[in-house]
Amino acid sequence: MPEDTDTDSNDADTRADGAGPGIVPPDDETPTWSERKERTEGLARLTYEYFERSRREDQDLRQQSSYVERDVLGFPTWPHEMIRNLALVSFFVGMIIFLAATLPPHLEPPANSSKTPAVILPDWYLYWSFGLLKLGFLNPDLSLLGGQKLMADRTYGVLANLVVVGFVAIVPFLNKGSARRPVEQPFWAAVGMSGVVFAITIAILSVKNLMPMSTGLLQDLTFLLPFVGGFITYAVLKAMREGYMFNLNRRYYRLRPPK
Amino acid sequence: MSLERKDEHDQKAWMEERDLTPVEKQYLIVLMWLDKRLRIVDYLEILEDMYYKINLQMPKSHTEQYNLDNKFWYWYPLYALGSFSTLAYVVAAISGALLGFYYAPAASGAAGNPTVAYNSITFIMTEMNFGFMLRSIHRWSAQVMTAAVFLHMLRVYFTGAYKEPRELNWLIGIVLISLTMVFGYTGYLLPWDQLAYWAGTIGVNMSLSIPLVGEWVAQLLFGGFTLTQATLQRMYILHVFFLPFVVTTIIAIHIGIVWMQGIAEPH
Repeated sequence: MPEDTDTDSNDADTRADGAGPGIVPPDDETPTWSERKERTEGLARLTYEYFERSRREDQDLRQQSSYVERDVLGFPTWPHEMIRNLALVSFFVGMIIFLAATLPPHLEPPANSSKTPAVILPDWYLYWSFGLLKLGFLNPDLSLLGGQKLMADRTYGVLANLVVVGFVAIVPFLNKGSARRPVEQPFWAAVGMSGVVFAITIAILSVKNLMPMSTGLLQDLTFLLPFVGGFITYAVLKAMREGYMFNLNRRYYRLRPPK
Repeated sequence: MSLERKDEHDQKAWMEERDLTPVEKQYLIVLMWLDKRLRIVDYLEILEDMYYKINLQMPKSHTEQYNLDNKFWYWYPLYALGSFSTLAYVVAAISGALLGFYYAPAASGAAGNPTVAYNSITFIMTEMNFGFMLRSIHRWSAQVMTAAVFLHMLRVYFTGAYKEPRELNWLIGIVLISLTMVFGYTGYLLPWDQLAYWAGTIGVNMSLSIPLVGEWVAQLLFGGFTLTQATLQRMYILHVFFLPFVVTTIIAIHIGIVWMQGIAEPH
């Protein structure tokens, strides 16, 4: 092991850490950590260069900024913020206990595999997923396969779940830019609103045998209402946007009058 | 020159030459005892840092600095939903641990007869002191947590808080909301009543419908293609052992990233 390091380079003495004669105390010729990092190659070198750049960028941004640090910028964490948080926590826990005391759960009869109940439902937060399982009517039967379906209805429903969750997951990579408020981005607010409406309508579809209307109408409404909701949201936000931008500009120019 | 090693760091002598109150003396004795064994001094910097962090003054938020409170006050309660779901999670964990003392995940018995699991729930609800209340609190905190998590996601969506640099946290949030629903589902099955049994049947059928890996998933999660003792046992272990560790860890990462990046305030 020591022979290897000695033969392959003549600056082996500068790399004595952990090899050779043992740990050597640093002298003037011992490279500093930043020098060592500068001498590296490949990915390590690339990492070092990138971090140096980003540190410099950070420094530049800080120097350009007009932000002034003041002595007291807000309330101290302890005790002010903590006492406020404690009050909020007590309130919320109290709310849960109040709900638990006033609306206790009940227990169904014991499990019986030979007696199917009239209504089978998961908990409310899975209704949307349960509704997606009943989308078999959208599963196309291909004439190419002689009227057969490419996949079973229930496979179709499970895949619909994956599609919905997948779409929600990629939203940050579709909607970019600095707009934050719904008025600033009416389209994405409309998409969100139609998503909310769809979650409700698909949940209703999951209990279609309890709804007092024909299945066909219910299925149409399930997909129509989200679009209606989205369009209304879009129209309202577009109308609001005019007045909103006017106010925003007025505030801006009041604070910083044009020269 | 004696052979005896001279102690330059004779802490005991140093302590005696000082005029200390009994409290200070006791404190120092404990501190020295621990320091000799654990070298607390090495971690002093971290402790100091923590001390100052506790006394940190929160920086002015964006809304405070630009005096936007009059414009955004109605958003503020919606910004508490993440904390609220964490809080409900803690309440559910405490009440769940207490319920765990009395619950047994055994599905033995003929169809239609109360199983051991069902009987333990009946015992909790009818005979145990405050048992009904405990189960009620556990159930409601779970419901509240799920509701808060959904609303939290809507708030993040409609305020555009998922945008750069917070995409990663959005993805972690989606994993968390899914695991929350799995948490709820596994808990829903534990009483082993009619609702639980038939919800479980749907679950088995759903996993069997997954292309390619369906049977494997059904075996892994439900312990077979029909509901048996194995299913209940798996749901129990998922609910009280597996998911608590996984979800708590991911919640810690989720909140840690919020801490590092700061709250996406209204603009």
